[in-house]
Order: sequence, then C-alpha cells, then structure tokens
Amino acid sequence: MRRSFLSILGIFIWTVGVIYAVFTIVPPAEGLGNLVRIAFFHIPVAWVSVLAFLLSAVWAFQYLRTRKPEHDWRSSAAVSIGFAFCILATVSGATFAKLTWGAYWNWDPRQTTIFILLLIYGAYLALRSAIEDEEQKARIAAVYSLCSFITVPFLVFIIPRYYFSLHPAPVINSAARIEMDKIMLAVLIAALIACTAIFWQLLTYRVNSRQKREAAAISGEEGVKQ
Amino acid sequence: MQGIIVELVNVSKKYGRRQLFVTINRQICPGECIAVTGSNGSGKSTLLKVIAGLIRPSSGTVKVHHNGHEVVADKRMPCFGLISPELIFYNAMTGYENLHFLVRARGVGLSDEQLMHCLESVGLTGRQHELLSTYSTGMRQRLKFALLVALRPPIWLLDEPSSNLDEEGKKLVKRLVDDALAQQATVIIATNDPEEANYAGQKIALV
Amino acid sequence: MQDKKLPWYSVVWAIVRKDALCELRSKYAFSALTMFALITLASISMSLAGATISSALAAALFWIILFFCAMAGLSRVFVQEQEAGTLFTLRLYANGQAVYWGKTLFNSLLLIALTVLVIPLFVILLNFTIPLWLELSVLLVLGDIGIATVSTLTALMVCRTGGKGALFTVITFPLLLPQFLMVIASTTRVFDGILPEVQDFVFMAGYDMTVLIATSILFDYLWYD
Repeated sequence: MRRSFLSILGIFIWTVGVIYAVFTIVPPAEGLGNLVRIAFFHIPVAWVSVLAFLLSAVWAFQYLRTRKPEHDWRSSAAVSIGFAFCILATVSGATFAKLTWGAYWNWDPRQTTIFILLLIYGAYLALRSAIEDEEQKARIAAVYSLCSFITVPFLVFIIPRYYFSLHPAPVINSAARIEMDKIMLAVLIAALIACTAIFWQLLTYRVNSRQKREAAAISGEEGVKQ
Repeated sequence: MQGIIVELVNVSKKYGRRQLFVTINRQICPGECIAVTGSNGSGKSTLLKVIAGLIRPSSGTVKVHHNGHEVVADKRMPCFGLISPELIFYNAMTGYENLHFLVRARGVGLSDEQLMHCLESVGLTGRQHELLSTYSTGMRQRLKFALLVALRPPIWLLDEPSSNLDEEGKKLVKRLVDDALAQQATVIIATNDPEEANYAGQKIALV
Repeated sequence: MQDKKLPWYSVVWAIVRKDALCELRSKYAFSALTMFALITLASISMSLAGATISSALAAALFWIILFFCAMAGLSRVFVQEQEAGTLFTLRLYANGQAVYWGKTLFNSLLLIALTVLVIPLFVILLNFTIPLWLELSVLLVLGDIGIATVSTLTALMVCRTGGKGALFTVITFPLLLPQFLMVIASTTRVFDGILPEVQDFVFMAGYDMTVLIATSILFDYLWYD
C-alpha cells in the first residue's frame, strides 16, 4: 500500500515537473513556434499506444503458452489502456495537424498507422465483448492479438511507399535533422518516461483490482460452502 | 491400434462456479466396459468429452498410453470414437456421403464395399442414398454406430447409446458393444438407463 | 482387415469436397455473393452514366466490392457448421490442420470463382479496358488468397458469437489492410498499363505466405481446447 502510494506520488511530481519544463524551459521551435509544445504530449502518448500493443501481444503469447489467466488480464488491460492512449494520440495529432498545416486529416504515414492501431484495438475489444465464456474469450483474444501483431510490420513497409508525408521527420532517428535542441530532447525523453510510468501504473492498478475481484469471488464461494 | 490404456489422474471439471466432478483417478484397460452414471447435469457427457480430449479438465490430466508409450495430445483423437446426442450429421448429404466423409476426415481409407458393409451391419441398407434430412432420429443413431463400426477406434465413448432406438435397435447396440469388447476395445457408456448400465462390468458414479 | 491410412492431402481434399458438395446443393453462398457483386457494380455503373473513371478509382472500387463480397460469404465455412451443429462432429472426427487447410482452400477457390465472374461484369458495366491480363490475374490470385486465409481464421473466432456479420468484418479488416493497400496500388498500375515492380509481387506473396503459416499455427489454439 505504502509502496504504491509512493510510486503514484513520484509519478505525479515527475509529470508536474515535465509539464512545467514544457511550458517554461523549452524554447519555441523553428517554424512551428509555440505549437511544438503539443508534440510533447502527442509523441509520448503515441509511443505508449504502440508500446501497449507490443506488450499485449507478448502477454497473449504467454497466455497461449501457459494458460495462466494473469497473462490474459495483463494483455487485455494493456489493450484497454492502450486504446485510450491511442485516442489521445489521434486527437492530439489531428489538432496539431490542423493548427500547423490547416487540415485535420490527410492520411500521411503516421496518421494512417495510428488509425490502423485504433482499428485493431477497437476490433480486439469488440471481439472480447462478444464472447461470454472466460476461457474462450481469453484464448480467442490472444490469438487475435498475435495475428494483428504479425500483420502490422507489413504496414510499416507499405504505407511510406504510397503516401506522401506532411509529418515532421522523427527527431530521434533522423540523422539529418537533429535540429531538436538538446533541451527539447531532454524534456521529450522526460515526457516519454512520465507517460510510460503513468501507463504502467494504470496497468498494474487494473490487473491488481482484477486479481482482488477473482480472489474475493473464490473465497466468497468457499465461505458459502463452509 | 489395440492395447490402449487411458489413465485419469486427479481429473476434475468446473464451469465458473459450478463444480461438476472432482478428483477422478482411474485406469481404464483394454477390453473393459465401464458405465458412467449420475443424474441429469452431473457431468457424464462432460467426462466423456474430457476423456476424448475435447475439453480440458480444470485440474488433473488424462493420459493415453499405447504399448507403454504415452500418446501425445494431437495424436490422441484417432484413439477415440465418441457418439452422443450432440453429434449431428450434414443434412445436405446422404447417409452414405456422411459416412464416407467422416471416415476420410479421420484419415482412414475404406472402399465403397467396406462402407456399405458397415451400413448393412446397422440396418441402414436401402436408405443410404437418401439425404440426412429425411432420416428419423432412430436412423441417425444407427448411422452414428455405422461410423464407429467403420472406424473401429480402440476406445468407444457412448453417451446415451440407446436413445431414439426401438427394441431392435437396443439389441443392435448390445451386439455392437459385445463385438467391440470381443476385439479388445474399451467401451465407456454414459447413461441414466439401468439396462444400459448393466452392459458394463464396472461403474463410475457421478453424484 | 487392415485399414488404409490416407495421406494428408486426401484428408484436406475430403474437406474441400464436402464443403463444395454442400455448397452446390444449397447454392447459398455463391448466389448471394454474385448477386451482391452484381448489385454493387450495377449501382456504380448507373450512377456514373457512362463517365470514365480513373484507374485508381477503378482499382479501389474493384477491391472494395471483392472485400465486401468476401465479408458476406467467407464466414460461412465455420458459422454455418456452428449453426447446423456439425462443428462438434468435425472437432471429433477431423484433424485440426486438415480442417484449416481444407477450409482455407475452399474459401480461396470460392473467392477466385467470384473474381472470375466479377471481372467481365466490371469490364462491361464500367466500360473499362484491361491492358495486362497476366499480371492482373497474378495480382487477383495473390489478393484472393490473402483475404481467404485471414477470413478463415477470423470466421472460426466469430462462429461461436452468433456469427454476426458486423463483428466478422470489423475484426478481419485491420488484419487484411496491408495486403489490401498493396493490391489496390498494384492494380492501379496494371489498369494504367504499367507493370508493377517485382518487389510488389514479392510483398504480396510474402504477406500470403506469412499469414498462411501464422494462421495455420494459431488455428490449433482455437480448434483444440
């Protein structure tokens, strides 16, 4: 109890620090001006939605291998939370696009990818809600998670070839454009850490409450039997 | 494929909060006939499905041994032949076509004469080229037995075998069970009918 | 009497034959799909009233029609079995992989047959000429196989949920999207008379092989408890 309170406090302080840094320390970027501050929200949130997808597939694989329900709880929690982050990423991305280039949506590679991720998340959640039996639900969802994980890399290859990109080049892996100020980079990484930590905290909270619910249900039965 | 031993180790099954049966430990040897008895909903059909490997037990394992070696899960299905009221044939095909398809689906190649012989042994000659949709429930039950006669699996799992059958049909069942036992197959019957239960030498009672 | 053991391809073929036989007798899937394709093509043709459409639009329309036909008809391989009660029979007496390959092959053949029917209708109703037939045929087959393969797996996923059509489409589309995008782009080039690059064919073939293997492995997890 005490540990989780400390970690929540820690994350809170870190996040507040990051927000402060985004608004005060980071100078306006060339060409984009003050709007670049949205990127400090959008990029971490988009990163987390991809991370959630990867984690969900890993736990799905673990579930199929071991059939332990905990893996399924983690996998589905990652998808639920990832879905929320994905919506935030889409909305923040669209807002940024509108303010910078005048159009909310133009199907450039990044936007297309995040949209497809949204579709996969939505499909997964729809599939889960349509099945009643717990064990079947877990199994079918795990298979879907892995199947979507296998087809996503193909998207990475095909989308850039066919769509022209308005998206700013990725600041971290584009060698030519490390125009991102060192300060900006530091704040961005801090924001990434904050976002990931929030995601992890939410995930742990969800899985733990599920665990408690299941344990209570079982002990409730045993109580009745006695 | 004779000489198959089925071992149930601590097998139990529950659905959600409902416990069906607990810790069944049993070794079933070739040539044995066992009856699984119990009231409706006690889990008789489920136990047969667990033995066949169709359903995972909540705890424990079902092991299948052939000549001392354990048979791996994927290769287990061909050891069993299960018939139950839940088994439904394809209405768009004839009796013969259904038999032909299911035998081939099992990977067994039987000639037309052999298949006709199986249909004959359950009393379905003359009706084999009619669509399943025209069959009575009694005829469908006989077709199920024709399938078992064709496949001759080492273990027969019969869930309420005499259901929908007249007196003659019931005699047929007894005869087929005796034939199977004579060939050292194992027969497990799940039933409420005391007459059927008496085909068996031993009983597993599910409360 | 010694029982003859059949080779795996005979078992797969037995499943294809059974599905084909039942389909031929009921004629449900094929007639529904052809009517669907005809209605869609006719509506587009009527609304265009003779105007020409660009290759990009034609390619997109073609694959969209094919995709929705697939969504209307390919789930039957398992949904129909579940509804008739014969899925249980199949699980008892047929090997999982044989069922998978048999049903995938059946769906592929069904979709290819539908494609063969749609192409002439497409040419007639939309007044379209096709320059590169061989390349187009290869594209069509690759695309159809991809759609059929993924649809077979997702059909098994939804068959126990009551087979509601919407769910089947919702979960199949994201998985097919990479192949869908690639095949539309390549078809556009073919309609323009340009030969698609070799790497496009490699991509499509690669996708098909990957999903064939992946769905084959994952199928067993769904089929066996």
